[in-house]
Order: sequence, then C-alpha cells, then structure tokens
Amino acid sequence: MTTTISTPPLTPAVFHILLALSSGERHGYGIMKQVEADSQGKVTMGPGTLYGSLKRMLDAGLVKESDKRVDPEMDDERRIYYQLTGMGAEALAAELARYQRIVTIAQQRKLFPKTFAYDV
Amino acid sequence: MMYEQKAVHRLYRKLVNLYPSGFKERLAESMQQTFQDLWNEKRQTKKELFGFVLWTFIETAIGIFREYLLLISPGDVMQTILKTSGSSALISFLLTLPFMIMEVVNRRIFNEDFPVMLFFVMWLNLFAIGLILLPIMRGRRTGNHDMANPIPTQKNTLLTNPRSAAMISIALILAPGILPLLNSVGWLSLDRLFNGPNPEVAYLPGQLMSLGLILFPIAAGIIAGRPIVSALRAGGSLFAHPINLIIVVVISFLFVSGVVSLIVDQWPCFIGVPNCD
Repeated sequence: MTTTISTPPLTPAVFHILLALSSGERHGYGIMKQVEADSQGKVTMGPGTLYGSLKRMLDAGLVKESDKRVDPEMDDERRIYYQLTGMGAEALAAELARYQRIVTIAQQRKLFPKTFAYDV
Repeated sequence: MMYEQKAVHRLYRKLVNLYPSGFKERLAESMQQTFQDLWNEKRQTKKELFGFVLWTFIETAIGIFREYLLLISPGDVMQTILKTSGSSALISFLLTLPFMIMEVVNRRIFNEDFPVMLFFVMWLNLFAIGLILLPIMRGRRTGNHDMANPIPTQKNTLLTNPRSAAMISIALILAPGILPLLNSVGWLSLDRLFNGPNPEVAYLPGQLMSLGLILFPIAAGIIAGRPIVSALRAGGSLFAHPINLIIVVVISFLFVSGVVSLIVDQWPCFIGVPNCD
C-alpha cells in the first residue's frame, strides 16, 4: 500500500475506531464490539475513551454521524451511527502504510519472534 | 433487580451530565445508549455487574476530567507542559549542582547545615525559566515539523488566543498584588499570614504560600508564551505576538534576576568565606 499523504501517527484509540468503521458504519456499542473483535479481545474501550475520541474525530472531520435508526440485530431503540469520511479513510490508510513500513524494517532486521539471532 | 437497573442508569445519566455542555449536547444520548447496551450484554451473559458498573463509572469520570482539561488547555499544551517540565527540572538541577558542590566542598570545615531552601529557590527560579522558555525554543527548532497530534486541537480557546492569553497572564502577574493592597487597608496582616502567630518559629503554611505565589508568574509566562509557540510551530515569526513576547521576556528577566542576585549574594559562602550569610 502506498500513499503520498503525510499525516502524523494516530493514537491507538483513534486508529482502532477508524479500523472498526472501515468495514461499515456502526453505532457506539457496535464500534466497541468491533474493536474488541479486531484486537482479539486485547483492546477494551470504555464509553469515556470511545466518545472522547469520537468527539475529537468528529471535530477533525475523520468521522461523521449518520441518521438515527434501529439496529435490526438489537432492540428497537434508535441509535446514532458513525461512518468514516474521506479524510478518515486517508488517515487510516496513512497509518496502515506507516505500520507496514515498520513491519518491513522489522522483517529486514529479523526482529519477529523466533527470528532473533540468539533464538537460532 | 429492575429498581437497581433504573437507579444505576439514573446515576450514569447524572454522571454523563457532568460533561462540558458542547460534548453533552452532541454525545450524551449515545453514551447512555451505549451504557444500556453494555448493561444488557453483561446481564445476558450473566457477567459480574458490579465490576462492570464500577469500571464504567470510573472510566467515564476520567473521560469527563479529560474533557475539562482539554477545554482549559488544548491537548498539545498539556503534552508540551509535561514534556517540558521533566527537561526543565533536570536542566535546573544540573545548573544548580555546581553551586551545591561548591557549598559542600568549601564549607565542610564550618559544620553548618546544608542550606536546602537556598538551593531549592535557585532550582525553582531556573525551573521556571525552563518552563517558560523551553517550549518557545522547541517551537523555533521544530517549526512546521512538530505536528504529531493527529487531531487538530480546539481553536480559539482562551489560552490559544494571543490577546486573551496576554490578559490572563497580566491578571496572574497582578493577582498577588492584592495581598499588599489588603494589608495596606488593614484587612489582612501579611506578617501574620507568612510568619504565623510566632515569628520566631518557622511557619510552614506561610512558606508554602510564598512558594505558591511563585506559581503565578510561572503560569503567566507559560500562558503568554503559548500563542508564540503556536505561531512558531506554524512556521511563523517569534515576533508574531509582540505583547505576549514582552510579557515572556519580562517574566523570564525577573526569574533570571532572581538567580543572579542569589548567586551574587551567596557567592562568598560558595567560595568558603567564613561567617558569610
């Protein structure tokens, strides 16, 4: 993946929210569950962190609110959904490219588990 | 069980209502909905509800605290202050260290107590200079490259607007001046306030208050310097906000004067002159 966009590194919370929204719009609880699934349960985000990050992401134009509607898989409560904006998708792509560069460097230096010189 | 659920939800609604108004209007409803969803999930999976409630309340309370902090001072300001304070503390200590060594080496034959307060005041003055000037120096060095915050910070807060920052700084500088004023009209006894009922005995609250007063000009310098740092980071000039720059220079000069006068005053002691004070 290559990108020419130069954006600074994202915070872990912002990165996970963008990643969760990359597969489609979600409401707050849906984002939490997706983050948990994406991280194999290693990242648990509480409402304070989630909505604090969402507020700043809304302000920055990385995500936007969709109309309120009912989640067919849940109860009949109407929920606000959040979705990625073009800028959010670009920020996520830039972050993933950054990760990829780091992974490439780590591979070149044989830094992955069981590839350290002393493990051989 | 139903009553318990209602009480917890009511409490959570009250907690969420503590968020700043802008945040509350936009996200409070969603937060309560999410809390309800999490509650339902825990209940369905028969997980421990008390632990969940406790964790969520604490996590949300921390979130509220953070939002207010960001409201008072944008995120990068907090980071800058935290980053700067460590460097300032270390540099100040390293600058104070030679004088401490001189004191120890040259006065060891006199069997005097080590003047902790003297070196603390010297360190504090240097620390204050560092806190005020280091962000500006870093801003000049980094220019446009120090944009590590992924989310643009809140604009037009009281502390980022040069004019309001300058006014707050001036107010902070003048604030301690109210004490002599109250003293002159007889509403307050400065002597009693700082020296306590018995001037012969060291009065800790008075000493703490004296130290607290030093925080006013430090805060004033940091606040006045904030718009300068922003301008420098954006590639602007050091002289973009002349009033703020004047305030920073004046406050820094006062602290530098404090250090220089301490060194000049105590120099005989540092070089081992007997009976110095």
